[in-house]
Amino acid sequence: MNQELIDKFVAGRLSEAEAEAFEEYCVANPEFAKQVEYEQRLKIGIALVSRGSTAEFVRSPVHHPVRWNIAAAAGILLSVFTLYFMWSRYVPTAVKPIMAAVTTDEQRNGASLRLALVRGNEAVPVLPPGITRVEIVGLFDLGFHYSVVLDRLEKTEKVAIATLYSQHPTSPVTIEVMIDGNRLAPGGYLLRVRRQASDEESLDFGFIKP
Amino acid sequence: MDFVPGGELSRRIREGDVSAESELIRQFEPGLRVLLRRRTGGDHGLLQDLVQETLLVVIQRLRGAGIDDPQKLAAFAAQTARNLAIASLRKAERQRTDVDSDATERNADPAQSVDAVAADLESALAVRALLRELPQARDRLMLKRFYLDDHDKDIICQEMNLTEAAFNQALSRARRRFRQILEERGFSKRDLLSLGL
Repeated sequence: MNQELIDKFVAGRLSEAEAEAFEEYCVANPEFAKQVEYEQRLKIGIALVSRGSTAEFVRSPVHHPVRWNIAAAAGILLSVFTLYFMWSRYVPTAVKPIMAAVTTDEQRNGASLRLALVRGNEAVPVLPPGITRVEIVGLFDLGFHYSVVLDRLEKTEKVAIATLYSQHPTSPVTIEVMIDGNRLAPGGYLLRVRRQASDEESLDFGFIKP
Repeated sequence: MDFVPGGELSRRIREGDVSAESELIRQFEPGLRVLLRRRTGGDHGLLQDLVQETLLVVIQRLRGAGIDDPQKLAAFAAQTARNLAIASLRKAERQRTDVDSDATERNADPAQSVDAVAADLESALAVRALLRELPQARDRLMLKRFYLDDHDKDIICQEMNLTEAAFNQALSRARRRFRQILEERGFSKRDLLSLGL
């Protein structure tokens, strides 16, 4: 007995004599009979499911919800990892600051400009091209934070172009910041240093960018 | 299951061996179910009753007079089942001519309906689970055309651009999975209450 004969029996395509012989074989062979019964039940089940509509036979596959969730979770994890990877390695040029705190020894040992209020000095300091450490000399309290504002001097007004907050004096007489001269247009500038959360007036230091 | 030849079963039952009767039931029941399913028009309750009745008749016969050719015990059981199915059909037809058919339908035995529905429901649920698992629309459509539309395998292969080997493989996979699903749902140790009806 082969599958083709089972198919024919279940589909009702055997003659009555053939069907009776098939049935007797089934009665004598229980394992074979079970195979036939599953086939009968598959046919009945399909008939019931398609009663009224055969949409389930032609619809798009429905994915198992658990599998879908796993795929979604994997996707999210991958996205997060990719974003982290890009964020940790990518420093966009637009973020390069005009003014920043001094953070490395290389910066501390590089080109510098010293700004101090010297009575009787008429010369105006000149900011060299490139990144320069600007040493601002004055009397500073190490227990406080200071804000440093860089203004561009226009004809009639000052325009703030960069501000650093919470700067610590590097000594009681010095606050240091880095300024990128290449990013400044030629003209006059003013650095204003003021103790945060106080009524004190700022100390102003002028320089020019040729 | 070890197959015990009909002649030996007949002899042991005649000698009063109760275990032989159990073996006869285990051995013949699946085949009788196949045979009677075709003759009971989807009435699962009637199918069960006729299977039981057939086995009872066969065992009583073997306990008593016995059969002419014990080697043909399976054929005897099959013919007994057919006779009982025909008798049941005649009885049902007589009843239909005696009574108001609408009233019969209204007062149908609810337990029997549940039996019939539950057995078919199991199959339908298993088919639905199977359809959900089949990844390719082609396989689902193939099942529909083969089992529901009764299309010939050659025609399906030709129209769906399938080789016979691919068709057989997909069908065999579906059959195997359907059987697995039914077994996982407890088909072999059917308990109608567990279906939640």
